[in-house]
Amino acid sequence: MKRFDCMKALAARLKDELVILSLGASVDEWYNAAPHMREASLFQQQLGCVTPQAFGLAVGLPHRRIVSLDTDGGMMFNLGILATLGNEKPANLFVVVWDNECYQSIGGPPTHTAFGNVDIAAIARGAGIANAHTARTVEEFDAHCAAGLAAQEPYVVVAKVAGTVQPDIRRKHSDGREDKYIFVRHVEKTEGIVIMGPSEHN
Amino acid sequence: MKQSAVDAVLRGLKAAGVSVVCYLPDSLFKELYPALDADPDIRTIRVTNEGEGAAICGGLFLSGKRGALVMENSGLRASIEPLARMGMGAGIPVVMLMSYRGELGENNWWAIPHGMTMEPLLNAMRIPYKVVSDEADIERAIAHAYDWSYAAYYHSAIVLGGSIVR
Repeated sequence: MKRFDCMKALAARLKDELVILSLGASVDEWYNAAPHMREASLFQQQLGCVTPQAFGLAVGLPHRRIVSLDTDGGMMFNLGILATLGNEKPANLFVVVWDNECYQSIGGPPTHTAFGNVDIAAIARGAGIANAHTARTVEEFDAHCAAGLAAQEPYVVVAKVAGTVQPDIRRKHSDGREDKYIFVRHVEKTEGIVIMGPSEHN
Repeated sequence: MKQSAVDAVLRGLKAAGVSVVCYLPDSLFKELYPALDADPDIRTIRVTNEGEGAAICGGLFLSGKRGALVMENSGLRASIEPLARMGMGAGIPVVMLMSYRGELGENNWWAIPHGMTMEPLLNAMRIPYKVVSDEADIERAIAHAYDWSYAAYYHSAIVLGGSIVR
């Protein structure tokens, strides 16, 4: 199963949602798989921060569906967030974990999920997230997207994807600071709120 | 903490527009956490480590809500990684309120590292901070931290020490 194919399936289901996503090649893949979601996606290079940030966003915007696109390396960097989600039970947070069993962006050394022992979905269930599943085909993944985007409690799908990157895709040129401004302005526009307002004159 | 200091923290946070507090409890603030939990205007989120709390606060910032990370100063060490990435890499600010473990007068050996590392780490991270030891200064210090962080879009910290926490 290719991550890019999963992303295209997920992207086809998204319209008004907000997305926080992880680092590495998945950033460029999502940029190309979901061009209509570029302003609604926060592209970050933050191992271990992705799902906690998405949860904070979900707390702040409880009427809005939030999607976290995390990774095996990123989730295992801070497994504690699963326990926090298990207790807090946000009704508007869908978590995807792209599990390619490796640290792909630095050349592919294995993560702990590569050896058949560590099961992130099982860890999530043990943390109190009843809806935590593993998908091995695009069809399975797409079905979990449908369920997860409609769920009224946290929903985690661990997508077992190949350690390859979609070839010949356009690279995103912006950095984390520009991405934040683009994302914040999108949230301001779609929510009718001010997050980063004018400076004082005094 | 005396009830009057707890009340001053709550007034300061509310005046700054804070509606969500992430915390990992400690002993010096032990009276503060149940007061935060009980306050109808503030949602509390218990976290497994302070770095997770920092990242949740970052997400809150992106939603337009104001959050605070409340913790012992040892939590600063656990938070450095997400603080560096969010603050220096993207300009996503987190305002922290921490208890001063390990300042002069500390009589627990295990708390000494917290005092020794706090200010050097805050300085290394270029995080402006104010050590408050007079209860009368709590509200203003909290207000100033939010003013600064929402002008700089960078982290700031208020440290409560001295007779406020002992």
